Amino acid sequence: MDVSIINNFTGGALSLLYSAGPVAKGVVIILFVFSIVSWTIIFYKLKEYSRVEEDGERFIRVAREADSFKRLITSYRETPRNPFYKLIYASYREITARQKDNPGTKTGLIPAVENALKITITDEMERLEKRVSFLATTANTAPFIGLFGTVWGIMDSFREIGLRGTTSLSVVAPGISEALISTAIGLAAAIPAVLAYNYFNGRLKRILSKMENASMYIINLIEK
Amino acid sequence: MKEETWFKWMVISTILHFIVITALTIPFKKSTKRIDLSSSYSVNLVGSLGGTGEKIGITEGRGVEGVPRTEPVPEKKEVRATPKKGPPPKPQRQTPVRREKEALSLSKKKVAQKPLKEKDVPSKDELSRLEERIREIKKRTEYFDVTKARSPVVQGGQGGQTGSLKGGSSGVGFGGEGGLRPIDPNTQRYILGVWERIKESWGMPGIASYKKDLETIVTIKIRKDGRIVDINMEKRSGNKIYDESILRVLRSVDPLPPLPSTVETDTIEIGFRFLPGELS
Repeated sequence: MDVSIINNFTGGALSLLYSAGPVAKGVVIILFVFSIVSWTIIFYKLKEYSRVEEDGERFIRVAREADSFKRLITSYRETPRNPFYKLIYASYREITARQKDNPGTKTGLIPAVENALKITITDEMERLEKRVSFLATTANTAPFIGLFGTVWGIMDSFREIGLRGTTSLSVVAPGISEALISTAIGLAAAIPAVLAYNYFNGRLKRILSKMENASMYIINLIEK
Repeated sequence: MKEETWFKWMVISTILHFIVITALTIPFKKSTKRIDLSSSYSVNLVGSLGGTGEKIGITEGRGVEGVPRTEPVPEKKEVRATPKKGPPPKPQRQTPVRREKEALSLSKKKVAQKPLKEKDVPSKDELSRLEERIREIKKRTEYFDVTKARSPVVQGGQGGQTGSLKGGSSGVGFGGEGGLRPIDPNTQRYILGVWERIKESWGMPGIASYKKDLETIVTIKIRKDGRIVDINMEKRSGNKIYDESILRVLRSVDPLPPLPSTVETDTIEIGFRFLPGELS
């Protein structure tokens, strides 16, 4: 190893990368991209889910007080992006479509509204789940990508030992520590992704149950 | 609107990543310089016994020997002509004395009710015993500074000779049981030659980046024919790579040229102090 590598022992952990080979650098860059994207998803989804949960709470508060579906529609005014508003809108559209020809009829109305609500819930959950799967991808692949960089680096440093014919610590250590940093970065990218993925899954379940509750409220109010 | 927020979070996450990267790149550099371990090594152990000991200790020993106190060479490291073989045995020799003292006062505590006074003012008997002890230690740890000494003196011994060679201005000393005898310039030259040789072959990549206060003290035993029979690391610097490089260079210079004929003993022991400043 040349002077610069040993110098780097006094530098920070990542300064080891200055002297790393192209494979190690490529691996680290890929891992950084993974990490940046997964953190973007984490921030974005945190914001989105907390907003959806707030909307759901507000919806249930309004639905408890409302005594009819008409009342619910008039009192719950929201942005069209709100999934709970979408539930109301879907059921309203279904009712108006059914009652256009013979107004006042209720036969077969409830199952039709139920189906419409189910479709809406599935659509909305799909939208909310979008990109969360990338977190799972990061969690699964980032350690392996890092491991690949490490194995490659250790291969390199062993070849170096063979070429030099010495096995002293000063020859072996820099190569190995340089190689290990890619595993470290891989883990650093994967661990937050795993945590966030599990957390978001729990939150999605809560949102789903809230939406199902909301659809029950809507059906009850229609039946009244 | 959705894409806008997406890009907003993307930018924030990228910025956070770069902050983390820079944070990981910087901080180590500063922290390595703070530790200062080596400065406390040449402490005058005799001084710990009190005023009397300090006075009679090494400082006076110097005067007795007639070696002028050399001022530290400004551009190099301080010439601390502390005996190298000396320090390790010192504490061992010293502790019994201290313990005796404590034991005395303790036993008095049990008998009489004024132990404090006894402790504060050691009795004449104790003092004289301490002085005797100090003189003994002093005798064993005589040293002199090869480069500065006007009239080199060696205490010829039966085998166990100690030298110390330090920094740029190498202080080499011999300690032994026998009486005073002028060191012959051949031996002196030989030791300096050995040091030069070690210095030449002691190369280490990236040495300039090491802390300047790394200090390793090694004593080697050289047989008459120049073979190194024993390498003893008296003090490790704490940096394994650094210590390893020293051991390697010592092994690589073996065998050394045979000892000058003026050396009567079978082996001589020389202490070296390795400082990174030597190389850069």
